[in-house]
Amino acid sequence: MTTTSTAGTRRSSRSRLSRVESRQALGFMSPALVGLALFTIVPVGLSIVMSLFHWPAFGERSFAGLGNYVALFTQNPDFWPALRNSAVFALLYVPLNLVVALSLALALGPRIRGRAAFRVLFFIPVVTPIVANALVWKMLLQPQGLFNGISVSVFGVELPNFLADQNWAMVMVVVMSVWQGMGYNMLIFSAALEQLPAPVVEAARIDGAQGWRMLRSVVLPMLSPSIFFATVMTVITALQVFAQPQLLTGGGPGNSTLPLVQFIYNQGFKFQDLGLAAAAAWVLFVLIIGLTAFQFRAQKRWVHYEH
Amino acid sequence: MRMRTPLLAGTAVLATLGLAACGSGSGSGGSDDGTIVWDMWSGSQSDTDALNETLAIVKKENPDVDVRLQTAPWNDYFTKLTTNLSSGNLACITSMNGQRLSTYADAFEPLTDADLEAAGLSKDDFAPGALDIMTYDGKLLGVPYDVATMLVYYNKDLIDAAGAPEPATGWSFDDFEATAKGATTDANAGFAVGLGEFQWMALPIAQSGKQPVSEDGALALTDPAFVDASEWYAGLVTDQKVALPAASASDTGWGENQYSGGNAAMAVDGTWNAATYLANDAGFEAGMVELPTGENGSTSLVLGSGYGIAKGCEDKEAALQVLGSLVGKDAQDAMATSGRSYPARAESQPLYFESLDASVRDDVKAAFDAAFADVEGQRSTQNWDQVNTALQPNLVSVYNGQAEMADVLGQTQQQFGQ
Repeated sequence: MTTTSTAGTRRSSRSRLSRVESRQALGFMSPALVGLALFTIVPVGLSIVMSLFHWPAFGERSFAGLGNYVALFTQNPDFWPALRNSAVFALLYVPLNLVVALSLALALGPRIRGRAAFRVLFFIPVVTPIVANALVWKMLLQPQGLFNGISVSVFGVELPNFLADQNWAMVMVVVMSVWQGMGYNMLIFSAALEQLPAPVVEAARIDGAQGWRMLRSVVLPMLSPSIFFATVMTVITALQVFAQPQLLTGGGPGNSTLPLVQFIYNQGFKFQDLGLAAAAAWVLFVLIIGLTAFQFRAQKRWVHYEH
Repeated sequence: MRMRTPLLAGTAVLATLGLAACGSGSGSGGSDDGTIVWDMWSGSQSDTDALNETLAIVKKENPDVDVRLQTAPWNDYFTKLTTNLSSGNLACITSMNGQRLSTYADAFEPLTDADLEAAGLSKDDFAPGALDIMTYDGKLLGVPYDVATMLVYYNKDLIDAAGAPEPATGWSFDDFEATAKGATTDANAGFAVGLGEFQWMALPIAQSGKQPVSEDGALALTDPAFVDASEWYAGLVTDQKVALPAASASDTGWGENQYSGGNAAMAVDGTWNAATYLANDAGFEAGMVELPTGENGSTSLVLGSGYGIAKGCEDKEAALQVLGSLVGKDAQDAMATSGRSYPARAESQPLYFESLDASVRDDVKAAFDAAFADVEGQRSTQNWDQVNTALQPNLVSVYNGQAEMADVLGQTQQQFGQ
């Protein structure tokens, strides 16, 4: 009996202590919580409310129910093209980025001299301001630019008007984006390659694995957690693309390079229809969450964790 | 653990209250302390210096009113204005560009004749058509400080080198085509097409005699005469090949940049850039002439900017006094003498030409006189700004031969016409 009673008092005193502690902890946390509430929770909540209203930047607001969502999918002439453009961009950009980044990481293997310097070179586009990058690419690609100049003077061939031709504009946005974004994934893959467990590699080599067989059966499976991480992050950034088309092509010609985020920006800040913009933002959010959840589901089939 | 939920909720509620307090904290008009705020765009220190000179004149004329100048760069100005409007926090004296007035019309207090009188102004003070700039839906919403119209600018060096006929006052659309063709060489184009609203629309409007907005304020992009003239305009690139297709829809100043870079012999731009082109960085000799005349005359529009009084301004009397000084004779004279803008006040206009170099003064004055001789007010719809935003990327497709001008105008009319 005595033992249970002591245990009882001890438990209650501990819980009293922990209650005091958790109250103190909350006190310390509250500045962060206020920040979170002010800058994250309230705006997110407000954006749901906004998406249910006709919400012009100024003037009368009125409740619209799901009207904005219906308008997006059935009336707006730019929404479906924007969805299509985001999908096309992601489908081209993600595989190309991963293949280029992985190839670079593999090529800059331990036997390359000065590979740290190369890595820095390939990483530079990631850290330089995107506005400057886009302006330089624009100067290269326009008809009076470097590429066309060289082509005409050396080969006598007139190149297409890359950024204003509806068949080329998206290709060039993807090419520029891959150039800009490959360095980040390359660094992730390089780091993973350096950490490959030596005993496994050695065992494979003793068993006679070489070249393609080595890459396919040993290196890639062991890299799969990094590839998974890079894929998830790259898909998200691909769906959020904005600066490259905004600066290179202005979403044009027509709406052929207008991605979803630029559509949202235009609706909100150029057409001043904040309700429609908020609704489109929620469509984008659902899309990203859905795709990411799917990728996490599917990883069981191809990602190998060592432990 | 049980504590956390109510506390979190409490924090959220507190934060929301804080936000609400922010929203309603400052009264509208920004004149709680008796200050009249003057909101204006300014792109550089020299712009701000010039505005401060105007401010000094205003303060001298109104020693009993406390006036404060507040500036933002051109693009940010309108974003900021939108934000200020949605929070009901507009400056008493708000500057407005005539082409954008329709979008912001609700924000301004209509001015009556009695208001103008209180400001010490009379409608006769202003150049003919100038008040149209700040009129929307039949209501005068502000007072203009400058007037502008579109001109054809040309590069004398390129035209002379190619042996093309030089544009001259009273020229026709045939003359325009002859110069454009004659000045087109392997190295440069004869003309540069525009992407900005009147940088491209000015010529189709002049040729057809039709504005893309009807007299009752409805969007009329599909008016047959305007469509024909627009197709002729696009044909300068696609059929006559006297102009290059735009390189990207993000180059909003395509035609103007081609001209100022010396890549095109002619381009259309507003009178507001006359001084800039005369002193261009590329170093060519610039000339200017009014829009050409066709079968339907030469319709050109009067554009410009002005100052309005915000709805809800708490001290309208003081604001009117400040308004009167901002477009008063002294302020307008000072603006004209500095060559910054062509003033809206008729008696101050001659001073503008005196600010120019003597070698070009007479030519510029002749071009301005011809261009302003027969201008009409620009009509617009409430979503005019959006219409132009939507048109711009599609024009790039038209110039590149991947879309038809008539289809683009038709689709835009359908989207924004209701």
